Parts: sequence; structure tokens; C-alpha cells
Amino acid sequence: MIPLLQSLVDAVSAGAIYALAALGIGLVFGIMRLANLAHGEIITGSAYTLIFLWQFSWPLALVASAVVGIGIALVMNFAVFHWLRAQSPATLLIASFGLSILFQRLYDAAFGTNVRTAPVGNGLSQSIEMGGIRINLLSVITIVLGVVLLMSVHLFLTRTSLGLQVKAASADSRMARILGIRSGLVIAVTFAISGLLAAAVAFALTTQSGAVGPTFGVQVTLFGLVGAVLGGLSKLSGSVVGGFAVGVVLSLFTSWLPPWANDFRTALVYVFVIIALVFTPNGLLAGRSKKDRT
Amino acid sequence: MIDRKTQTKSQSRRLLAPSWAVDLWTLAVPLGAVYLFTVVGSSLSGSARVDLGYALVNLIVVVGLWVFVGNSGVLSFGHIAFVAVGGWTMSLLTLDPTIKNNVLPALFPSVQDASASPVVALILGALVGGVLAFFSGLVLMKLNGLEAGIATFALLQVVVQVLTYWDKVGPKSGQSMVGIPTSFDLPAVMTIAMVVIVVAWLYGHSTSARLLRASRDDMSAAPASGINVFRHRVIAFAVSGALAGVGGALWAQTNRVVQASQFNLDFTFLTIAMLVIGGMLSLWGAVVGTMVISTLNHFLGILEGGLDLGEVTVSIPSGSRLIVLGLSLILILILRPGGITNGREAVWPFQRKLDFLSQAHTSAVTPPTAVSTGANRAR
Repeated sequence: MIPLLQSLVDAVSAGAIYALAALGIGLVFGIMRLANLAHGEIITGSAYTLIFLWQFSWPLALVASAVVGIGIALVMNFAVFHWLRAQSPATLLIASFGLSILFQRLYDAAFGTNVRTAPVGNGLSQSIEMGGIRINLLSVITIVLGVVLLMSVHLFLTRTSLGLQVKAASADSRMARILGIRSGLVIAVTFAISGLLAAAVAFALTTQSGAVGPTFGVQVTLFGLVGAVLGGLSKLSGSVVGGFAVGVVLSLFTSWLPPWANDFRTALVYVFVIIALVFTPNGLLAGRSKKDRT
Repeated sequence: MIDRKTQTKSQSRRLLAPSWAVDLWTLAVPLGAVYLFTVVGSSLSGSARVDLGYALVNLIVVVGLWVFVGNSGVLSFGHIAFVAVGGWTMSLLTLDPTIKNNVLPALFPSVQDASASPVVALILGALVGGVLAFFSGLVLMKLNGLEAGIATFALLQVVVQVLTYWDKVGPKSGQSMVGIPTSFDLPAVMTIAMVVIVVAWLYGHSTSARLLRASRDDMSAAPASGINVFRHRVIAFAVSGALAGVGGALWAQTNRVVQASQFNLDFTFLTIAMLVIGGMLSLWGAVVGTMVISTLNHFLGILEGGLDLGEVTVSIPSGSRLIVLGLSLILILILRPGGITNGREAVWPFQRKLDFLSQAHTSAVTPPTAVSTGANRAR
């Protein structure tokens, strides 16, 4: 029972991380049909900031990593995606792929191929006793962070004027423009939020590993994107649930698969992804509404 | 009436090429370009010949990718999976038996004993790639758009994981197969690349490919006109997988070291970028994109190694190739989304301005079916 509970907590915490990544990707996709593969490089940028600055002052590191995340996201928007708004989703996807590889090489050139290590959030890696079971404090914090951020994004989208504009533009961007919503501002705000979410993912991942390399954010972004597509990119809740599910399944596979099958756990996840996509091409949680095709 | 007809007839004989010539031109130009590219490249230097080998292999992969992506309009991030199995087939069949016993001890006995001549291994590589593409296509081609892209990517991940960890068909987890003999020299690889281009061109002229392009251009009208999009996508995917398998087999014997982790996102990106930069809607675009990017990469490679210009040595950090490639991809998408060729085949250079007229005139004297083969394709 105890290892089961322990692994469940770990799974939920992994799920929270992937849900945050999927939410960041899903927000941007909703607003401009861009499945941003370069989201991972925002995460990597924030993670480098954390690693370099944590030893000086942790509040500074946290703030700086958020600023860097938002900054990179905005740079991506204004330097690249702003000029591609009229293009098809396929073109946007290819552009973000190019941007992702470009940023990886830039990090590589600036910080070297090898991982940079530093203890981030050392105090968080201890375990706490709760009702006879030991629970990793970091997992709890990750879950809390995930819930708080998901709630704040939800509140922002439903309770503020700007958030409602984002939601409106995401539902039907042409109609929103006709009704006087400033699409440039709304897109910039969306990118900023996705940058902030990326910074949160970076924090959770660096406290776990304490090491950052040029391809640090690739894995979590791929699984986040896969989860978002699986859950249904047409609805934000679909993205979040899909990302969460992928994280939980991956984590459970890691702790419960027999050793010979453990090597193939990601392959198994991807096989499930293919099967799920074939049976529910619009996503597990998508409504009846058809979304446009590339 | 008769007067005008004879007049236009004589005019067309004088000014306009017959449609089959315009048509063959779209094949002759890429073939000629590849030949020139190889001749010039191999006369430059030793390092140029090495890069040329990889360029021709990439050309085969990109042309294979075009067969599916260009005709169906569906993005594939998974073609490197077919390259991987093609390379795997080549390696397993042509490795020296003693090396094979040492490096790959856990193989299935039948795989352990199997060996074949390079030509047979190449054909088998194509076959394995094509069969894998056919059967995965039966599942994947039910999907459209972004979902299809994600699913093909998932396929790549599955194939790479299996090749990495399953030691019954390859080396122990994460290790590499070394010492694969180089069986084809540059002229042979060039010839194979040309054969691949011819196959892709022939496929592009098949009924299936035409119907598929109709679905690419209008996803709702094509099925409504009775086109079975799924079937034609599967055909395209299988042909394209087989060509990618050929590319993989040649890649293995060019690189001589094969490891599952080499079939990664960087490789995927390189081939997609080549196709998109050249123009993903035309075969000519696939060829142009590969040649331009390969040339660029070669000279960047020289700069990375350091170039002596009299007193100063110019050098750029390693990794610049992918930075430049990423930048050029983004720039081309912003400035010229159709790629260098703008999605056109090689254009018949004579009397281009009269093409529209020729269409009108020939349609008056020949059945309409003949028209669409000629002038339309050349435009």
C-alpha cells in the first residue's frame, strides 16, 4: 500500500508538470493555431536562469526566471510568429520547429553542450512523514504550484476583461477582431502567460534534477504537446487533462513496469497515443465542434 | 474558320513545344541538376566529396518525403523512422560476420546468419521501409492535420525506442553498429538518387497522385467527388517510406556507424527544412532545397574548421550550421512561404508567355485530357 500511495503522489506531481506545459501550449494554439514546439526552449531559458542565479539569491532567481520566460515568449512572438499570422497551421508548426532547433543551438553555443548543475531549492527535496507514509515535499509543492497556476489562469480567463478577450479571440479570432478586440495585444498577453507557465515548469523540473542542458525542455514539451493533442487542443480543459494523463501514465510506467519493459515505456505511451488519436481524432475531451484542419 | 485553325496549328508547331516535352522537362531538369551538382562537387576537394555523399543520401530522403508531404499536404515528422529501418537492414545484412558476432551477440539466430550482397540489401531496405510505411499508414492515414503530424512523430519515437533497446535486432541498448562497409561509390549513389527521382516523378504522374493532390488542394471537395483519400494517402505513404528506406540504407553505408539515437529530431528537422526551403509542393523544390542547403552546410563546415585568409583565420563556432539552417527556414517561411521554387516544377524556358494561349489552342484541336498533362504541370 505504501509504495502504491507514494507512486501515486509522484504520478500526480509529474502529471501537474505536464499539465502546465500542455496548458502553455494549448493557450497559444487556441489563439493562433500554433502548436509551439519552441515552448521547450522557453522552459530551457528559464531553467538556465534559475541554475545561474539561485546561488546568489533565490527570490531574485525566481523573479528573473519568470521575466526571462515571458521575455523569450514575447521575442518569439514579435520576431517570428507575428509575421506568420496569415499562414496555415502547418507552416506555423514548421516555423516553431525551426525556432526550437535554433534556440537549442544558441544555448549550446552560449552555455556549452554539457549540463550546468547547481542545487536549486535544496530544502525541498526532503521527505515529510504524513500518517505513516513518507511523501516527497517536492511532489507536494509541485502539485500545489500546478493547482494554483491552473486556477489563476482560469480566473484570469473568466474574471478579467483582458482574459475574456483572450477567450473570445481563442474561440473565433476573426469574429473577435471584427468586434474590436485588439488581436495584437491579446496574442502578446497569451504568449506572456505561456512564458510564465514555462517558467513554472522550469522551476519544478530544475528542483528535481538540478541540471540543465541545451535540450532540457524538449522532452516535457513533446509530451505536453502530445497530451494536449490527445486531450483535444480545441478546448483548454482538454489540453490540461490530456497533459496530466500523459504525465501520470509515464510516471506510473516508470515505477511499476517490469525491468525488461521499462526501456520501452515511452514507446508504449506513444503507441497508446496513436491508438487514442485514431479513435478520437479531435481529442478525448473535445466537443462536437469541428476544428479546422491543416 | 478553317483558315484560322490551320493558322494556329502552324503557329503552335513553330512556337510551342508539345506537351510531353514540357512534361519531360520537369524530370530532365532535376536529373541534370543532380548530375552537375555531383560532377562539380566531386571535383572540388576531399571534404567536398564526403559532404557530397551525405548530400545525395539526404536528397533521396527528401525526395521520398516529398512523395508523401508534397502530394498529400499532410506533414510527416516520422519519415526518419523509415530511414532508420532502411539503415538497419543495410547494416545487419552487410556487416562482416565476425564483427557482427562480437558487437551484436544477442541477435535472433536467423538475423545473425543473414547476409546479402549490397544491392540485395538495398532493395530489402526499400522493401522494409515500404512495408512498415504501408502497415503504419493503414492506421496513421485515418488522421488529418496536426493529429497526423503528432501520430507520425509518435511512430518515429516508437521505432527509435525499439531499435535502441531490443537487442534481438540490434546492438545492446544505446550502442552502435560499426564497420559497415561502403559498397556504393559516389557515381553509384548518384545513379541511385537519379533512379529515386525518376520513381518519384513517375509516381507524381500516376492517377493516384493526381487524386491525392486534389484532396490536398481541397479536403472537402475531393471526397465529395468520390476520391478515396485514405487509400491514396496510404499508397503515397508506402511509396515514400520505400524511398526513405533506400535513403536509410545508403546513409548507413555512407556514415559507416549506425546508432538508433542518430535518427533523431535534428535529422528530421534537416530533411523537413530542406524540403520546405526548396518548396514542398514540387519535386524540383525538393531537389533544389537539398542542393542549396547541402552546399551552404558544406561551406559553413569549412568556416567552422577555420579558413585562412592571408593573415587572419576566419572561423565560426561549431553548431553554426543548424543555427543558419533554422534562421533560413524561418526567413523563407516569412518572406517566401512557397519556398525557393514557390512550389513549381522546373519551368519550360521557351515561350513561357504563350502557355496560356497554347492551352486555348491545343484544347481546340486535341481532346481536353491531353491539355492538363502538359501546360498545367509546367506552370
